[in-house]
Amino acid sequence: MENSEVGTTKSEWAARWADLKYTLYLLRKNPLVMAGIFMTFFFIALMFLANYIVDPKLANPAGYPEFGGNYPFQRSYVWSKGNIINWGPGIHLYEGPEFFLLGTDGWGRDLLKMIVLAIPVDIENAIIITLGAAAFGTLLGALAGYVGGVIDEVVLRITDIFLSIPYLILALVFATMFGRTIETLRFSILLVFWPTYVRLMRGQILSEKEKSYVEALKALGAGHARVLFGHIIPNSIYPVLVQATLDFGSVVLTFSALMFLGFSPSPSLPELGNLASDGYFHIFDAPWLMMFSGLTMLLIALAFNLLGDGLRDVLDPRIRR
Amino acid sequence: MIFVLLGISLIVFYLARGFPSGIDPVTPYIHSKMTAEQIEMVRKIHGFDQPLYIQFFYWIRDILQGDWGITGTWANSRPTNVVFFSHFPYTVELSVAATILTVAIGLPLGIISALKNNKLPDHVSRIIALAGYSVPAYWFGFVLQLVFFYYLSLWGLPHLPSSGASGMEGVVSCITGMPVLDGILAGNLGYTLDALAHLILPAFSLSFISMGFLTRIVRAGMLEVLRQDYITLARSKGLTERVVIYRHALKNALIPAVTLTGMFFALLLGGAMITEYVFAWPGVGQISLRAVFQGDSNFLLVYTLVTAAIIVIANLIVDVLYVFLDPRIKY
Amino acid sequence: MQVKEKEVILEVKDLKVFFHTYRGKVEALNGVELSLYKREVLGLVGESGCGKSVTALTILGLLPENAYVISGTIFFRGEDLLKKSREEMRLLRADEIAAVFQDPMTYLNPVLTMETQLKEVFMLDTNLLRKAVVWQKNHGGKIAFDDLLSGKVKIRDKSTNPKVSKGEINEMAKSLCVDILRLVRMPDPERILRQYAFELSGGMRQRAMIAMALARTPSVFIADEITTAVDVTIQAQILNLMRGLRDKIDASTLLITHDLSVAAENADRIAVMYGGNVVEVAPTVEIFKNHLHPYTSMLMKAIPDVKNPSERLEFIPGTVPEMINPPSGCRFHPRCSIATDKCAVEKPELKRVLKNHEVACYNVAV
Repeated sequence: MENSEVGTTKSEWAARWADLKYTLYLLRKNPLVMAGIFMTFFFIALMFLANYIVDPKLANPAGYPEFGGNYPFQRSYVWSKGNIINWGPGIHLYEGPEFFLLGTDGWGRDLLKMIVLAIPVDIENAIIITLGAAAFGTLLGALAGYVGGVIDEVVLRITDIFLSIPYLILALVFATMFGRTIETLRFSILLVFWPTYVRLMRGQILSEKEKSYVEALKALGAGHARVLFGHIIPNSIYPVLVQATLDFGSVVLTFSALMFLGFSPSPSLPELGNLASDGYFHIFDAPWLMMFSGLTMLLIALAFNLLGDGLRDVLDPRIRR
Repeated sequence: MIFVLLGISLIVFYLARGFPSGIDPVTPYIHSKMTAEQIEMVRKIHGFDQPLYIQFFYWIRDILQGDWGITGTWANSRPTNVVFFSHFPYTVELSVAATILTVAIGLPLGIISALKNNKLPDHVSRIIALAGYSVPAYWFGFVLQLVFFYYLSLWGLPHLPSSGASGMEGVVSCITGMPVLDGILAGNLGYTLDALAHLILPAFSLSFISMGFLTRIVRAGMLEVLRQDYITLARSKGLTERVVIYRHALKNALIPAVTLTGMFFALLLGGAMITEYVFAWPGVGQISLRAVFQGDSNFLLVYTLVTAAIIVIANLIVDVLYVFLDPRIKY
Repeated sequence: MQVKEKEVILEVKDLKVFFHTYRGKVEALNGVELSLYKREVLGLVGESGCGKSVTALTILGLLPENAYVISGTIFFRGEDLLKKSREEMRLLRADEIAAVFQDPMTYLNPVLTMETQLKEVFMLDTNLLRKAVVWQKNHGGKIAFDDLLSGKVKIRDKSTNPKVSKGEINEMAKSLCVDILRLVRMPDPERILRQYAFELSGGMRQRAMIAMALARTPSVFIADEITTAVDVTIQAQILNLMRGLRDKIDASTLLITHDLSVAAENADRIAVMYGGNVVEVAPTVEIFKNHLHPYTSMLMKAIPDVKNPSERLEFIPGTVPEMINPPSGCRFHPRCSIATDKCAVEKPELKRVLKNHEVACYNVAV
């Protein structure tokens, strides 16, 4: 009459799968996280579908062909008459045939459509930057932690240096140096975010390294690379995941902030910060430009932050009893 | 620590002067009417044609001797340190105000959030904190300006000014360079109030964002501490809940929050570029922005160095503070 | 032991406590029955997870938020503690019921000095302190904690109290701290007061906790595994201390431990707990000589016998029950060698089978 079962040894991956299922269960119970997940999925879906919903040619840097390669400037910064929102006096009202739900920007383009086109730009770039920073930082941190010695010291000092530079300066100077292309922008933001991962991973590696299973693996003859990549890194990956989701919000905000300050490769590029900078000089007579582009930015950051927060709460080892 | 500073200056120096495609260090010294030969001569005078490491050496020597070079274009060039230090007090004023607001609102919010965990106040403050670190800085400043300046004035209500640090320039003698303090020192109520009115919106805009982070850390810290065994013992001693929280829990929970606040203050001192830009606040951040666009390497280098030094010093101060807060840490 | 009509000071009846956790409902206490008499030491013995600490926390009113008391009563001086408000319980904890816990390292606040943590207990009763200062002024000499404990000094100052300054109250509290530290045999009390928890050794920390409990002159003293986290020599010291203090304090002690030998040496009566129930209660000598419940018997057999060192220790087959899905009926029945069908259906109640001896089992041979 045994009360407990002496279970058969499960494989490591079966255990990981059970763990994952538990994580999903916990996620479901938390309403804020669910909201974050839905919003995130919404935006990611938009990211893929945007170019189908809205004709990307509407953002065409070469202008609209029907206007002879120019933009319809006669309808820049206008708000459609009969729209639900009344911004007050001093607003240019548009009495033309088309209805712009969110008004137009400085080029006369429909703001709503531009926002839709801008979402993939922001999200894709943010994903690339975050993944890049995480991958680079994690690898470097793992190496530093595992190998130790001089490499460790050097990496630490370099990380210190980068962490002490005010982040905007770093990104700005870098972008100025290397020209205003998307790639340099990405790299410069990556430079700002990678040190955190180095520290994080290094800390994890340092404590994992001392655990007995590493000793056991080595006794069995596993080489360093195998121990590091096959076992230590997968076991330490949770905090990195959490940090990456948390960072995503900051990355996307920084990206659009840089664009806002004027670092976009092309002024007509549909990107949320870029649209906002367009509206900066018209804050009071065309407020919708900054309002809605910023609002979208807020929602995107909110979605990913909710997700990241929820993930962090759920993966907290103390709550998972 | 010195090593870090050196490293930083090396990196930025190399970035600033090392790439022909970027900022030309000669820019502040020339104007458009100069011939190519004259430009070359200027270049030679200032040593810009030397190899980089020699340039770096000269630059370090100059900095340590107090010669921080010239900034601006030919038309309005001024010594860098004059430019920097005339704008720095404004940034200090803004940073101090923002930090005070952040702590004054964020700290109680975090504590209440932890105490009423998972109840309504917790959810509300979590949402506020979430909004804080999800909101784009430029957008939030803009919304504040729209509401408190434009619409209030539109509807004939008293409103807050939208830009600048003071609407009454030159009324009061400049002692500290910070409008509010100068107004107080001069005993001029009107000036002080006006300066405060200019200060509120940008300070709040900044603090809203840092508040998000602070609340989160305070909440997490408090929750962690409240779970500890010594809190159970304190309660079992029959102490009132108030004493348990303020005497036993808070001291333990606040340690990470103090570090964060210190770091924030240091970062703010570096100039919150975006907020200063949006509010046209004459602080160091705004100037540095202009320097980046104008290719003003002298100012940028100085600015980076000073800001990095501030951060490093702040780190040290926080470390020292730790020793006082946590008796377990000994030096 | 004198067979006098003993007065019950604390009575727990049919206490059921559940916890809500992410994994499900944990049925921690399943109808616990306990009686604590005046001036006795009751040993509460059982394996880890059987609910001993939960019982203590419930009595103190310090259950965590996810705990629910389903049913039962806890009578203390004629009142049901479970019906009291938080403030009333707090006052009780400050006055009458004191607890000392295991592992003083985690139970002492790391950033506060010992003086702060000890003085605050005294400062709970400023009236007493004030009167003590006045007494001291009137009678000269110094008041010692001993006097307060033994009641030798009856502080009955009904006259209007002259002004006693905060400083004097503080001074009084501090001197009482020094006194009480001497009482628990701490060397150099003044220095200890200035130190932090991590600067003291394990035994000293435990004594400090005991001092904090003693300072309230409680009538019920709950000691939850106080010897578990210290090594054997310190264990002996602490238990010695407890025995020595016993004569001075007019308190009943609930000594919770998983170590039968500790209970054997220090308790007057022993209550054995298993799976959230008390399964046997009897005076110490009686329970060792004549253990009736099958679980108790197996526990006894698992203790090595000094007189028979080569005898094989028996272990109890099976493992401690999972409290989320506990066995039905008697919770021990899956591991019991004398279980019958009835055991799986209905939980046996604690019944008196001999004088002073209660068992919860259907199949005991008396």
